Amino acid sequence: MSEQDEDLELQALQRQLDDAFETTRPRRGFEDELWLRMQSSRPAQSRLRDAWAGFWQGIRAVPAVPAAAVAVAMVVVIGVVLVGYSGLLQPRSASTTAGGAFQGPQSNQYAGDFGRLPTPVFAGGQKTGASAGPNLTLPAATGEYLGPAQLTWTGHLDLTFTVAPVFRYHEPSTNTADQFASGLGAPLYERPQGFLGMYQTSDYTLKVRGTVQSPPSSPAYFIFSNLSMPAVEAAGAGPADLASVFLAEHSLVPQWDYTTAVDSSGDPVKVFYQREFNLQGGTSAYLVNMNGDRYGIEVDLSNNRPVLVSGMLPVSMDSANYQIISSDQAVRAALGGSQPVPVTGTPAPAVQLTQAELVYVLAPAGDHSFYEPAFMFSGTVKINGSTMTKRVLVPAVDPSQRVP
Amino acid sequence: MADRQPFEDLYRDYLGRIYAYVRAQVGTSADAEDITAQVFMNAYQAYPRFEARNTTPAAWLFRIARNATLDHFRAHGRRERLRRTIQHQPETVEDPAGQAEERIQYEALLTHVRRLPERQRDAISLRHSGLSFEEVGRLMRCSEDAAKMMYHRAVRALRESVRMEEA
Repeated sequence: MSEQDEDLELQALQRQLDDAFETTRPRRGFEDELWLRMQSSRPAQSRLRDAWAGFWQGIRAVPAVPAAAVAVAMVVVIGVVLVGYSGLLQPRSASTTAGGAFQGPQSNQYAGDFGRLPTPVFAGGQKTGASAGPNLTLPAATGEYLGPAQLTWTGHLDLTFTVAPVFRYHEPSTNTADQFASGLGAPLYERPQGFLGMYQTSDYTLKVRGTVQSPPSSPAYFIFSNLSMPAVEAAGAGPADLASVFLAEHSLVPQWDYTTAVDSSGDPVKVFYQREFNLQGGTSAYLVNMNGDRYGIEVDLSNNRPVLVSGMLPVSMDSANYQIISSDQAVRAALGGSQPVPVTGTPAPAVQLTQAELVYVLAPAGDHSFYEPAFMFSGTVKINGSTMTKRVLVPAVDPSQRVP
Repeated sequence: MADRQPFEDLYRDYLGRIYAYVRAQVGTSADAEDITAQVFMNAYQAYPRFEARNTTPAAWLFRIARNATLDHFRAHGRRERLRRTIQHQPETVEDPAGQAEERIQYEALLTHVRRLPERQRDAISLRHSGLSFEEVGRLMRCSEDAAKMMYHRAVRALRESVRMEEA
């Protein structure tokens, strides 16, 4: 072999060595596992110092993180608000259903398996229902009329079933929260007041909270991004796609049915995964909060970077069928809160309720809480030239099966 | 502190290279993972004391990796390893992850690297992990020229090893 051939052979071997070292990498997942082990091994004092540094760094970096997002994060941190969806959601921009991890009602279950149910508490702590006095006037969503009204019903409410499932879950424990965080690879940092746990990763802080009794709020998790949280990279993808990629990357894609909605009117862009409960006949009903706003998971994106993610903490549920009121009873209950026409003074505006849908609402009850069916009536009214929405919620479970 | 990049950046940048370096030294991917974990655990603890003006992060990390690998050999029967090297026996024990890794391209070549004498193996592994000859020399406590010479000698030895196997 000539010297030149030998050189060429050695060069080829060196290239192979380059490739060999380039292609030898640890198994998938090792990088994140080791990083978490390293984080877990750090002294608590050191982690606390970094957490504070990250917190103040985040505050100082307001130009980089939209003020609105920081404000939202702060509000959630102090535990005042659960999932504050605005009433400005666009109509359904996309409809997606996830796999049916959700267990529907068993056909052989008789009504009332869970005993008498708590009556849902809506705005202002009022309990409402067919036999429970005036109905609720929903507060505070933009574009919503909150004042007294003379209600009339001009729509159609045809119910094809007389029972509906009620879902019950056991109040999540710190173990539940720890398991959830563990699934995300987030080690426990501390257990702050009002939360089941606070967990820290290099990219975000996770807080997990149980049910809030008043105002009623579902068990929830909150992911507050650090500045190191990378943007979601997906060429040509819209906000909903980016949010889905983020959730998928963190194994947070909902295991329940949902509809996605996007509010891109501001920064951050908000992507909502509105939870649906399956009903008989292949229909479904949205889960709504005490204001009648749908909820489930919210992903806030700023420049394609998730800045805040809040969602329902996964809990296992069982279900039982309960007798529900008839459509006539529901309408009577909805109109029961109508303001009578005064003899003197300015009459309350007349509102025509034109739509009604079955929804689900949370009824907290200590160790166990329930998602119960309710009727949500809505209509529009013109106030000072502006068109506003009026909503009325009525519990759907028959009063005989509820605690007054 | 100002000229120091966050440790996480260092970790993400170098984990693969450190693992490849260690994998070229030891027989199983499980051992390589253990040593790599030890390397970064040690580095994480020591990073507050790391002085960037004295050395590059790469040289610093590879020094820790080299020491950890040598510690591993000391603790896990270097004699047995030498016996296998001399007899050119294949590595006997592999975990399932390691068996999967065996299938990837160039694994055979790294097996030949593992059979080289320690300093030759080190010279090839450090050089092909992206270090300059100057850095390789510092780590091996020799001059840059001596590191170059060692490396070229190692590549020739490797070629002979491969040829013998093919023959």
